[in-house]
Amino acid sequence: MKYMNLSIEELHKLLKNGEVTSDELVQESLKLSHELQEKCNAFVTILDDQKGVCVNDELLSGIPCGVKDNYSTKGILSTGSSNTLKDYVPFFDATAIKNLKSHGAVMVNKTVMDEFGLGGTGTTGHTGIVRNPWDTSRMCAGSSSGSAAAVAAGVYPYALGSDTGDSIRKPAAYCGIVGYKPTYGMISRFGLFAFASSLDHCGVLSRSVKDAAIVVDAMKGIDENDMTSWDSSNIHLYNDLTDNVSGKKLFYIKELCDIENYENPSDELKKHLCIFKETLEKCKELGIEVDGVSFDENLLRALPSVYVILSCAEATSNLSNLTGLIFGPRGEGTNWSEMVKDHRTKGFSSLIKRRLVIGSYVLQSENQERYFKNAQRVRRLIVDRMKELFKEYDGLIMPVGTGAAKKLEGSVDILDDKTATLEEHLQIGNFGGFPSITIPDGFIDSLPVGINITGNCYDDQNVLNIAYALENSMPYKGQIAKEGKDE
Amino acid sequence: MSSEFTMEKVEKLADLLLIGLTEDEKKMIFDEFEIIDQNINKINSMPNIQNVEPMTHALDDFVFELREDEVCESIDRDEALANCDDQDDGEVSVPKVVG
Repeated sequence: MKYMNLSIEELHKLLKNGEVTSDELVQESLKLSHELQEKCNAFVTILDDQKGVCVNDELLSGIPCGVKDNYSTKGILSTGSSNTLKDYVPFFDATAIKNLKSHGAVMVNKTVMDEFGLGGTGTTGHTGIVRNPWDTSRMCAGSSSGSAAAVAAGVYPYALGSDTGDSIRKPAAYCGIVGYKPTYGMISRFGLFAFASSLDHCGVLSRSVKDAAIVVDAMKGIDENDMTSWDSSNIHLYNDLTDNVSGKKLFYIKELCDIENYENPSDELKKHLCIFKETLEKCKELGIEVDGVSFDENLLRALPSVYVILSCAEATSNLSNLTGLIFGPRGEGTNWSEMVKDHRTKGFSSLIKRRLVIGSYVLQSENQERYFKNAQRVRRLIVDRMKELFKEYDGLIMPVGTGAAKKLEGSVDILDDKTATLEEHLQIGNFGGFPSITIPDGFIDSLPVGINITGNCYDDQNVLNIAYALENSMPYKGQIAKEGKDE
Repeated sequence: MSSEFTMEKVEKLADLLLIGLTEDEKKMIFDEFEIIDQNINKINSMPNIQNVEPMTHALDDFVFELREDEVCESIDRDEALANCDDQDDGEVSVPKVVG
């Protein structure tokens, strides 16, 4: 019997009834981990010695899961998929991990990511590229690439991710699964390797909205070690999940979703936006009102650049402690600066180096006003516009990216001005700390595509309920990746 | 393109960051920055942009609370040193960095 393709509720019932043991689930998950590793290179570490735990009434108890390699895990290698931390073993658990463990979760592997979360392709991790289980010639997107691949392939029902620009929500779309980042600060970031602190979110990848709700309920909570965390003890995402969403109101950004606005659009983009329109019809059938609204074109066009400026600037600061002198492999050289340069030059991927140079430039005192401060100003204008719309609407609904997973060959993680905003609009969710969830909504040429719903801060329940209702109206819940799937 | 952002500037920044770049990497940075700069020019031309308060964080309603000034659990020295390449008598040993 294969169990790992089941939902958390189904597995919990089997465990409680004694039809399977936690140990058996762990063994199955480990076996599947090794099989997927051969095919997709999704893991930095597979915990072959992991054992099951005693099962109690907690839904997650005894069930295997995966953890992105930028979460600190006590006594277990945590590299951030970087050569600069290739041997780093934390002596403490991130708060989110500690919380999950207290609910009985069993970690079976650490998943590959883009180095320190800075990329969006799954190609910059120090252990090699991650391949998409639906088509191994394609990427999973990133940075939570390994987590997305593993959940989609049915290694376990969920894995942890982190999201600074779209790092949970885009891989989820490319892999045909659910990706949810709750409101900023609902889950503590203590022990998560910092990339861009004002944009970083913890979250989860799963195969259903309900599973995502169960996992975030277990991860969240105020934490004295993260002063940006807040008390969410009155929020019970799983218990309060309902598909009664009649009367809700959603909006989409007209300028980005109208095919007429794109010069020579590809067939893929046409299909993607067509699927989006079909999904909007499903919303209407559920009793949800959907309107197209306009967004200032200058703000939309500026969005990807604003993200690059802010995230690179914050990353330049956060990653400055990677010298190789105090921890990490020490570089070669006759003095400290040669050693640091050797450590960074050999240790960082090309993408990180590029990002740090840009971050350093925009932070120089003579450039701060023009680049960094102006990017922060545009961030406020975008967030203010969203908050104004959230007074009237329950959420923003948008297609994720410009289509299905891209080919690995020939891909570059660099801004493309033509479709950049449609590709990168999920960054809005990070600018405002908004709760945001991606669910699968169709296929293009046998590859899954996704849709995203983003709501106002602290309104996670509303966002999840809409996603839950929509998910129930489509046939993609719980799907497992298989190559060459028929449409 | 900002007249300030030249290939020489890219090299200088990389030197300051103690990062070595290949010629391809330098060119990619230069090309990517050109797009950023074009967008920043548009932002600069937006009316009253300078009057907008820069947004530095995701949420505007943080409640900052200082904890009591009490000694709390600290890091175990042996555990902290476990990831060091070089240590001596319970301290991290680093190359000479001053004078």
